Amino acid sequence: MSKSDVVVIGNGFAGLMSALVSADQGKKVTLLSYGAGTFPLNSGVIDVLGYDDSGKAVANPAQAVSAVADEHPYKKIGTQALEESVKFFQDVVAAEGFPYVGSLNEQQWLVTGVGTLKPSCLVPESMQGSKCFEASEIVLVGIKGLKDYYVDMVAENLAKELGNDKKYTVVTVDPHYQGARDLTTKDVASWMDTEAGYADFVSQVKGNAGAGKVILVPQILGLKGNVVYKKIVAELGCPVVETTAMPPSVNGLRLRDVLLSALKKKGITVIENAKAEEAVIEGSKAVAVKAGGEVRLQTYNADKFIVATGGFYSGGITMRDFGEAKEVVFGLPVECDCVEERWVNKQLFSDKKQTFAKTGVRVDATLRGVNESGNVVLENVYVAGRNLSGYDFCFEHSGNGVALASAYKAAKA
Amino acid sequence: MVKDKATVVVVGGGATGVGILRDLSMRGIDALLIEKLDMVNGASSRYHGLLHSGARYAVRDQEAAKECIEENTILRRIGKSCVEAISGMFVQVEGDDPDFVDPWVKGCAESGIKTRELSKEEAWSLEPNLSRKLVRAFEVPDGAIDGFRMSWQNVQSAARYGGRYKTYTELIKINVESGAVKSITVRDNVTKEEYDIECEILVNAAGPWAGKVAQMAGLDCSVSPSKGTLIAFNQRISNRVVNRLRKPSNGDIFVPHGSITILGTSSITIPDPEDTSTSWDEVEELMKTGEGVFEHLRDYRILRVFAGSRPLYVPKGADGGRNASRGFVTLDHEKEDGLKGMMTICGGKFTTYRLMAEKFCDVLAPKLGNTAKCRTAEEDLVPAVSEADKKAARQYFPSYGVNLAATRLGTEKFPEVVKTLKENPETREVLCECENVTMAEVMRIAQEPTSHSVADVRRRTRLGMGTCQGNYCAIRSAAIANKLFKNKLEGCGDSLSDMKNFLQARWKGITPVMAGKTLREAEMTRGMYEVLFNVNGGRR
Repeated sequence: MSKSDVVVIGNGFAGLMSALVSADQGKKVTLLSYGAGTFPLNSGVIDVLGYDDSGKAVANPAQAVSAVADEHPYKKIGTQALEESVKFFQDVVAAEGFPYVGSLNEQQWLVTGVGTLKPSCLVPESMQGSKCFEASEIVLVGIKGLKDYYVDMVAENLAKELGNDKKYTVVTVDPHYQGARDLTTKDVASWMDTEAGYADFVSQVKGNAGAGKVILVPQILGLKGNVVYKKIVAELGCPVVETTAMPPSVNGLRLRDVLLSALKKKGITVIENAKAEEAVIEGSKAVAVKAGGEVRLQTYNADKFIVATGGFYSGGITMRDFGEAKEVVFGLPVECDCVEERWVNKQLFSDKKQTFAKTGVRVDATLRGVNESGNVVLENVYVAGRNLSGYDFCFEHSGNGVALASAYKAAKA
Repeated sequence: MVKDKATVVVVGGGATGVGILRDLSMRGIDALLIEKLDMVNGASSRYHGLLHSGARYAVRDQEAAKECIEENTILRRIGKSCVEAISGMFVQVEGDDPDFVDPWVKGCAESGIKTRELSKEEAWSLEPNLSRKLVRAFEVPDGAIDGFRMSWQNVQSAARYGGRYKTYTELIKINVESGAVKSITVRDNVTKEEYDIECEILVNAAGPWAGKVAQMAGLDCSVSPSKGTLIAFNQRISNRVVNRLRKPSNGDIFVPHGSITILGTSSITIPDPEDTSTSWDEVEELMKTGEGVFEHLRDYRILRVFAGSRPLYVPKGADGGRNASRGFVTLDHEKEDGLKGMMTICGGKFTTYRLMAEKFCDVLAPKLGNTAKCRTAEEDLVPAVSEADKKAARQYFPSYGVNLAATRLGTEKFPEVVKTLKENPETREVLCECENVTMAEVMRIAQEPTSHSVADVRRRTRLGMGTCQGNYCAIRSAAIANKLFKNKLEGCGDSLSDMKNFLQARWKGITPVMAGKTLREAEMTRGMYEVLFNVNGGRR
């Protein structure tokens, strides 16, 4: 029976970052992994705070973060931890050869997979949509047979966002795919990783490249970091920009691979397919979690635990019946305002936050779960990422920002 | 301005209206149906989709029971591509009144409904999810029927006999001259144009809206809209219709359809038929009752909850709600109120829609000097798609989807779609994996003159009605279909707003059941459309 200094539960962005920061502190870390977190879903960009409570775009995330409501995780994390976490993240990905662009003092603008613009804070070099602002012509590249990327729709909406004084040209690239099933961005990215595929693609796009232009493509510039991106920008001589994408997002997978590589270098033990089922508690401390596959549970002992199992989507928080919300591993106290009139906005794309989305573990400034009187429940269990209560990451565009900063703070504690 | 004329104008595109359109057209009478929204948007799609055996009515209303079993038999024959020819069960569980069984068995026998008692073991082996508190079980010939498809197939059948239809065409005025209806004024709800249609007879088949239509002619017709709330689950919980064997009550019936199950229903008298809202209390009541039949009901994912209003006819002084008759009435306003050229049909139920139309048209046709006999029970709603066409189709899309597409598209459009699939391989993309809808099919339906939004395409193709509730197909269908609509519905002018409206309509059914696994889906929907696609737009 092994014992670690820290056991991190969950291998989404919050889990991987918790493990990395913990290891950086010289701790012996075990990461229990199950599934792939939301990497395939979130395009691997670090949104810190895109919109404020009234739905207005945030120009300066650092400033806006200091003004959030008391219930918000950022309030508990504090701006210092946020700033340090951003630096930590940028150092990690840069060291892995996959640098992210941006700072807490301004927004990067992404072009989405439907042609709208989206604010984010840190983005990979290949997704700097802001480059479209100065261009006189946007060359929109569609891929024949690619599912979930409709270049006409992207052109229609992008022209609305950027105005009609720019020229919008649509080019369709034929990947000469002969198979019978639908193509995903991942398939096309793999094709771009091959020399022949890359050359084929470039030959079909090259005629449209040139000064003053931006080449806008779906997330297809290879699966391996920024290798294809660097090559193609040099070859075409003008900016190339990737959009966000329907799952499975290629850039989400790139970021995951890069972080897993960093984890490996730090000597972090990753246990695959280990779904944490229950915790062993002694007094006010957790001593172990039991996790495993379908047949037998293994016991993982540690001095400290970081819960990064996610929210409703990832299954870290569940609510089988109305009002009965649970944190599934430790049974930490969950904040849930389950009143029919407030629980769900009648409008899906609403101008205010969704109450149900704020459901999560109630924590104090140390990011440990607290009961209704504010007393810490388990003194060595910390919470990071979407497990936390008090924010609506979809409304605010703050998901990976909260994940990063809370992971950093939880790991440092 | 008079822009159109027809001998008979039928108001209302639900089961009643389409049944009458088909019946009149087959008798050789020139008929035009108008519907204020898309076809089948009211109670004819907002219900269980149960093809009654009649057993539910066997104790209290044997006339209705007899009509149901006769029509059930006819629809199984003429509606092969909209009826799922399964059977049904009536189950009694602990706590249900044991004395209800004998009169029920007797009532079924007297109404001509075959029942067979199953041992508990047999019932469990046929339907393993049934409660362990089962006491008795009987097999009956219930079935499932797709309300959207049935109604469209009636319209298509009518069209072969010259019947016409206009969707998004709303009646706004009835023009009466010297005691007779001369024409109606309608508004095109897509283009907003208003114009007149001349007619000899106006048929009010507006279901729960029939009272409002009658009012336009200054008449009183007591329709009591009664709201029924239903829950759709994301899998087949049983392979048969399962009814509770007791005095008819709320939440008694489970109907499996394709890959889902529908549980219903409540019965609440409401003032406004437009009210299709639902609440936690209604959901909880249905769940509680439903658990009596399937103990693990709460572990299934709820897809959505929806409601429709039944058009219960209430003779003056009588009760509404559960006690009101499910029978129907034909009102000849010439006889009743001295207004020539207007008739109303009121009440009734989906299973007997054809019989209602037959009896109604038997009164209407002679007024026009037409003595033709009703032939609607003799001919299939739509001819079956040929095996050769299906075989050709199997080369281009998943064979499971071939039968589904064939029944949705029918003999004319199916070969067209197969041709597109053959000639243009890109259109083989499956836009809706849940219901197996290809890009080619979406493109074909988008080009119909009745398609003005993705939601219209949904009702024809079932796109977005399956287990993902539009998460994946919303972007795909909006991108492909929106540019093909000739006239677009207000608020659906571009692909982005059309997509948002489509998802919003799905959301309406999800909000009252935002718990359990539904929360997970909701977080994914928002993650995709708000975070990834930022559909509310960028630099606001």
